[in-house]
Amino acid sequence: MKQLTKMVFAVMLIAVSASVFASGNIEAGKEKSTACAACHGVDGVSASPMFPTIAGQHADYMLHALKGYKSGKRNNPVMQGTVATLTDEDMADLAAYFASQTGLKTLKK
Amino acid sequence: MKRLLASLLVLGMAFSVTANAAGDVAAGTIKGQTCLGCHGVENYNNAYPTYHVPRLGGQHAGYLVAAMKAYKAGIRTHSTMHGNVADLSEQDMQDIAAYFEQDGK
Repeated sequence: MKQLTKMVFAVMLIAVSASVFASGNIEAGKEKSTACAACHGVDGVSASPMFPTIAGQHADYMLHALKGYKSGKRNNPVMQGTVATLTDEDMADLAAYFASQTGLKTLKK
Repeated sequence: MKRLLASLLVLGMAFSVTANAAGDVAAGTIKGQTCLGCHGVENYNNAYPTYHVPRLGGQHAGYLVAAMKAYKAGIRTHSTMHGNVADLSEQDMQDIAAYFEQDGK
């Protein structure tokens, strides 16, 4: 019984740490974001209508977009080149950083 | 005189192009009502795969129009978005984009 409790606890701990990992590290993301700033702005607020503002965007949506660019499912030559060398952790960190910035909002009903 | 007329014509064309490109916020507010079903609900989720529906309030109108065109053309794939923009004209897209851009400000 004790062993079972230990096992359940261990599994829970792994699950929790995995979700923390998936949510990304804001500080690490900021350090990795210099290439993004050229188009999307330093804090993710873009100065040109050609490039989307990503400050305040949902992290999981950005992660979905980044993975789509990497796999080629979403097609944009600039983004494809930029994300080519990024790991899943890099993408999660970048998404966490830009999501933490002030910018986009949900549309008001 | 001919010259003046020609320059007036060019000026007029320039104005109509900007008016078209700017989009009409009031018209976009009406045309964009459907969009709020997903994009107007805080923390609303896309299903399969699950991720938050993107926030669009304050997004650049130019980018939004490009995104809608890509969905319409099938370059960007998302069945719900493709269905929603399929019948939109360029002017509809400009109007909706203008409304979204100012909504976040």
